[in-house]
Amino acid sequence: MSALYDLAVIGGGILGSAAACRAAEGGMRTIVIEQQTLGSGASGVNAGTLSLQIKRVRLMPYAIKGHELWEKAGERVGFHKTGGITLAFNQREADLLHERMALKREAGAPIELITPARVAELEPNLSRKVVAASWCAEDGYANASLSGAYYRTLLEAAGVDIRERTPVTAIDRSGSAFELATPAGPVRATRLLLACGAWLRSAGAMIGLDLPVRARVNTVSVTERGPALVGTVVGHATGLLTLKQKPNGSILIGGGWQGTGSPDEGRSSVDPATLLPNLRLAMFAVPGLDRFRVVRSWTGFEANVPDFFPLAGAAPGIDNAFLLGCVRGGYTIGPYIGALMGDLILGREPELPLFDPGRFATGASAAA
Amino acid sequence: MSDYDLILLGAGPAGAAAAIKARSLGLSVGVIDEASAAGGQVYRTPSPALTATQPDADRAKGDALRAKLAASGAVLYANHRVWSLRPGFSVIAIGPDGPLTLEAPNLIVAAGAVERHIPVTGWTLPGVIGLAGATILLKAHGVLPGRRVVVAGSGPLLLLVASKIVAAGGEVAAVVDAAPRASWLARAGSMLARPDLITKGANWLLALLKARVPIHSGTAIRAIHGTDGVESVTIGPVDRDWRPVGDAERTLAADAVCLGFGLLPSTDVTRLLGAEHRYKPELGGWIPAVDASLQTSVPGLFVAGDGAGVRGADAAPLSGELAALGVARRLGRGGGGGSAGEAAQTEANWHKSGRFGAAMSALAMPPPGAAAMIDPDATVCRCEGLTRAMLDAAIAAGARTLADLKATTRCGMGPCGGRVCGEAAAMLIAAATGWDREAIGQPSARPPLRPVPLAAITGAFDYDELPIPAPAPL
Amino acid sequence: MAGDLRIGSAWTRTVSFRFDGETLTAREGETLAAALYAQGRRTLRISRDDSGPRGAFCFMGVCQECVVSIDGRLTEACRTPVHNGLVVESVR
Repeated sequence: MSALYDLAVIGGGILGSAAACRAAEGGMRTIVIEQQTLGSGASGVNAGTLSLQIKRVRLMPYAIKGHELWEKAGERVGFHKTGGITLAFNQREADLLHERMALKREAGAPIELITPARVAELEPNLSRKVVAASWCAEDGYANASLSGAYYRTLLEAAGVDIRERTPVTAIDRSGSAFELATPAGPVRATRLLLACGAWLRSAGAMIGLDLPVRARVNTVSVTERGPALVGTVVGHATGLLTLKQKPNGSILIGGGWQGTGSPDEGRSSVDPATLLPNLRLAMFAVPGLDRFRVVRSWTGFEANVPDFFPLAGAAPGIDNAFLLGCVRGGYTIGPYIGALMGDLILGREPELPLFDPGRFATGASAAA
Repeated sequence: MSDYDLILLGAGPAGAAAAIKARSLGLSVGVIDEASAAGGQVYRTPSPALTATQPDADRAKGDALRAKLAASGAVLYANHRVWSLRPGFSVIAIGPDGPLTLEAPNLIVAAGAVERHIPVTGWTLPGVIGLAGATILLKAHGVLPGRRVVVAGSGPLLLLVASKIVAAGGEVAAVVDAAPRASWLARAGSMLARPDLITKGANWLLALLKARVPIHSGTAIRAIHGTDGVESVTIGPVDRDWRPVGDAERTLAADAVCLGFGLLPSTDVTRLLGAEHRYKPELGGWIPAVDASLQTSVPGLFVAGDGAGVRGADAAPLSGELAALGVARRLGRGGGGGSAGEAAQTEANWHKSGRFGAAMSALAMPPPGAAAMIDPDATVCRCEGLTRAMLDAAIAAGARTLADLKATTRCGMGPCGGRVCGEAAAMLIAAATGWDREAIGQPSARPPLRPVPLAAITGAFDYDELPIPAPAPL
Repeated sequence: MAGDLRIGSAWTRTVSFRFDGETLTAREGETLAAALYAQGRRTLRISRDDSGPRGAFCFMGVCQECVVSIDGRLTEACRTPVHNGLVVESVR
């Protein structure tokens, strides 16, 4: 007879781990089940950018809270608050920048517009072809590859059981509990949280949900270590570039350019056809990159639903089951919205509203 | 739109033979190689400056191979470094005149092997070089590794490098072979099939004995000492599992060390394209899973030469021909019953000729105990400056795969991409956890396959022509 | 380590190049890594991690230990043929 948990979380990324920690701190006997290792998915392979300038307006309050949590985690996650600059290189981009940053500022992000001359002062190695720019002192980055190690410490401290390299192959609702089939034997729990990122769709199908979850395949590149070139997080008005130099001298280049592959295939790959414009945009923004070599480009899945807002709340039509994922800017927002989810599962009122997955429910469960 | 029926990656003995065979079957063939001429590592073309060294057999074989390849009608893209690929297949390279993309429905990867390294304290000092690197210095450049050299590690390159140094007038302070003498004898059966190669090895040995070079079997380097470069080397005995035993150490004065532990198949390309791989220690480690025509689990993707399992230069051409026959069959060209018979015969010959090389490869292969040769303060990941103690700490904290180790320590994240340290890091995980090598995994292959200057990828471009997608939702 | 490690004497044309301000010679077509190594210039950079000297190791474009700076660009010395007037700086 296996033990009965109060909560089983499928997915050991930032979202699932943060929710599990909160639930355990609230007294629930909790287990995290992860198909690979903690933080090995999007939580670990994203570019680690913490920028309010690229967050969606409606998610800004969550992102601001997320920044606070990462800052608190500090050195353990390689946190650096450097400030960030977003660049526009033509009038169309400048218009986009002005319009978007004004709305983000209204939503609470301390973003200000700065002149090209100010950009040159702050970052002398950026392109001189800047026509408009914005600045946010709160921006910075952390080291995403430390996500797993960081949450392992937190989960262990909170007394959460961790089962890694354990894919869940079926979920059965037996009486009042969920029974999760795994190669290492069944896991039973009265509550279930699906927080498995790009695999939310297939996990949802195990409990009879047809979730409209798709996966984007984001590309990130890194150069070898080199001399100091930029000190802040550099972005582009379209959001298609993130660039920062780590303390060790390597430069990370992201921006959400799409690779190939899907969660069902189990792998994704860099597409040289999109890597090229990604690197060209980086080179245009920071001409000094011509002295650097790229050592590695990789991809990670970013899950989303059609409205690009999170799935965060009760699973439609299924008592005691919850969904958490598809958070745009999930690295930044994850620690906070994960904790909110833990509160919801504990039966507490979350500090900020969550995002009811019921908005995508069809048929009978739509009324739930 | 295909540029060729077949693209060959690598113009060493396997790749060149595959290209020549494919051309004889009427296929159009493009061959890409990093070097300035065909020949690979073993028949590497000597520097054009090198006119006065004594002719050697490898050089003559290499010249013959280059002439045949040139006459075959295969198009050689020399000095081109492949940095990425797409399925189906596009090969993306950078050459002296800029970027090059070639397309073909079939790809034979004949990328050869890289050297396996077991780190020792002091191996980062200038003057410590790979055994394979030493053969390049000696054969291609006519440069001695040092005035007084310790040649250490395992496998047949020990005798080759030491005898070349002696022949060139250098001094070999000692040959230090981790394998016990009994291991050589145990492989004798497989070697007897090739008396010519045994003679070659015996001649190397004879030259060393004549020069009074001490040859220590069952011995390994304990540490390499020096300030600005190699000054001395401490050696000591190892047991049958290559664990250091006893305190019978001695320190030799030397100004250079040539170090290596056999060859590892190069699998960057097949891993990048998602082919299945297996861990086969008897063939050098991780190799792609293949069918009888050397086709991998990815249709149209074939392998040949040491990259398909280390069997040596003599077996390599047959594997190339076998793969070329497979490609022709896949294209419905050069068909008929005769070709099936030819393939079966080629396969049989390949297996036969590969036995010697595979035995040599097995001889060089470190047993699991060899991890004990790595001291806690020895630098394992040279790019990121990580010592064994640092990696052991991460393993103790839960790292079980190379991917785990990379995420927590950056091991393998530097410019070499884990090609130098990955094997040692996997040995350390295996030693600490008992996990098998399949579970520990390989370093992940990601583009670029080698560091590429950003400027070489981006080239000249017009900002207004960048294909910027619609911005993300507000 | 004194002297030149090159074997034999009858070479084709020699060329001269500069390494960290010093003028050295190479046989035309020789790789930079071989030319530097042969003339005892074995330390090509200082490790950022342990501050120890590092030099060419694999000579085949794998290990990246022989990276030097040419016209401000990082380049593997073992894959760079020397030509007359080449200016090379070590990477700090």
